[in-house]
Amino acid sequence: MFQRLTGLLLAVALCLSAYGVQAADNRLILTGSSTVAPLVLEMAKRYEQQHPQVRIDVQTGGSTRGVNDTRTGLAHIGMASRNLKPTETGLRVHTIAIDGVGIIVHRSNPISSLSNTQIIDIYTGKIRNWKDVGGRDLSITVVNKAEGHSTLELFLNYFALKNSQVRPSIIIGDNEQGIKTVAGNPGAIGYVSIGAAEFSQARGVTIKRLPLEGVAASVAEVQAHRFPLARPLNLLTGKSPSPLARRFIAFAQSEAVADLIADQFFVVPR
Amino acid sequence: MIDRVFSTVVFAAAALVVAALVWVLTDVVSEGAARISWAFLVTEPRDAGRAGGIAPVLVSTLWVLVIALAAALPLGLGVAIWLSEFAPKQRGFAAYTGITLDVLAGIPSIVYGLFGNAFFSVYMGLGYSLLAGGLTLACMILPVFIRTCESGLRQVSDDWRQGAWALGMTRAAAVCHVLLPAARPAILAGLVLGIGRATAETAALLFTSGYVDRMPESPLDSGRVLAVHIFDLSMNVTGGDGAAYGSALVLIVLIVLLNGLAQSLVDNWFKRRISQ
Repeated sequence: MFQRLTGLLLAVALCLSAYGVQAADNRLILTGSSTVAPLVLEMAKRYEQQHPQVRIDVQTGGSTRGVNDTRTGLAHIGMASRNLKPTETGLRVHTIAIDGVGIIVHRSNPISSLSNTQIIDIYTGKIRNWKDVGGRDLSITVVNKAEGHSTLELFLNYFALKNSQVRPSIIIGDNEQGIKTVAGNPGAIGYVSIGAAEFSQARGVTIKRLPLEGVAASVAEVQAHRFPLARPLNLLTGKSPSPLARRFIAFAQSEAVADLIADQFFVVPR
Repeated sequence: MIDRVFSTVVFAAAALVVAALVWVLTDVVSEGAARISWAFLVTEPRDAGRAGGIAPVLVSTLWVLVIALAAALPLGLGVAIWLSEFAPKQRGFAAYTGITLDVLAGIPSIVYGLFGNAFFSVYMGLGYSLLAGGLTLACMILPVFIRTCESGLRQVSDDWRQGAWALGMTRAAAVCHVLLPAARPAILAGLVLGIGRATAETAALLFTSGYVDRMPESPLDSGRVLAVHIFDLSMNVTGGDGAAYGSALVLIVLIVLLNGLAQSLVDNWFKRRISQ
């Protein structure tokens, strides 16, 4: 009885180890930004179709996790929806797409543009009512992103703000939550991915995009590099990535995935 | 007068709870029913989950659940039997075990997720896999399952134990043929609670069984479960609401089916025992 059991366990262990060895050279693990993950997942599926022996596992966890996992070797490739910080050394950056970030308000809001100073004053709580910027008598609901989101860092950087200066009424997580929050609140102002906002607006979601520095918040303007508030979506590797990682990154930067980038409402970098 | 106010208040409380449930169900069914079709159940997701079906997600969910139950049931029943029948009453190691279980039952699931990621995925080298996810879930449902089974066993009248001894049954035989069948409702309740908690879990699984929505080829593959799929579609993928509702409806139907299955399995198994 015990011999049979031991035999069975040994067989299982052998299978597992054989599986591990076989998996090592045709398997890629990617971790990181939840914004980049759905896009890379689709790219990985197309790559797997063309190379049936390859398996690419895409996991999420946020840009910082992507950076850390790549540095410690837990992931072959990291995903980050921002530029690297000065302290994040030892990595190579491969940009696969651009994402514009635009200011949105409720569709019923008569305001058609805000200056940078006005936006700063609204986010720091100096202006608390829409009538102070030429709108209706309605108090402003400031929607801010939670700590750790790269859109927050991008927004603060651009307006030269510190998160401690911002007086938010609501703190949200992912993009889609931001769109839903503003759509459900006539006095709200927020900032979200332009592609996602444009798509939601076309489907009748009650939001409106405001121009920034006179440039319309549209995918076309991001594409033309005219829109001032944009971020790169990056793949990260160590200094010498494996041959498979190199091939996948080349694929992710090629024309073959341009339609996938557009499907996820991002812009192909030029 | 006071009686009437009191009865109105408790009735209102009951009505409120039922109304909340009906609201959620109506919302999910009315939004999700249009998405459900045979093709939705048997095809792979496309376009980040907005289009296509949920076949791999469904398979991953069942894998994780089977692994979790296979690990948690024998272990949990063992601990429950030891605590109620063999351990010295509320002293020494048994008391510590009890306190540990109560503390574990109150820990938020994200903590189990971080533990599972650190222990099963990284330390034991299972990586992001259905096995790591299933074992993490097993840890998560064990405390509640053990406590429910233990209290069920304790509630069995001592007359039954004495009857078994009088018949000259060994302790093991008494447990298997008399006490476990008698504690059947509690074991079933523990099982249903475990299945419900396991199938609905998101936080503990995002970092253990993972995000990959390919059809799993072995328990060592990463696989996305229904709850993670719904969370991603509703909070991260713009335009994913329809598919999220469809998946949520599938999840609810799945939990109802699994609970029915658990009930009939437990009933059948113990009925045979008792009649033998």
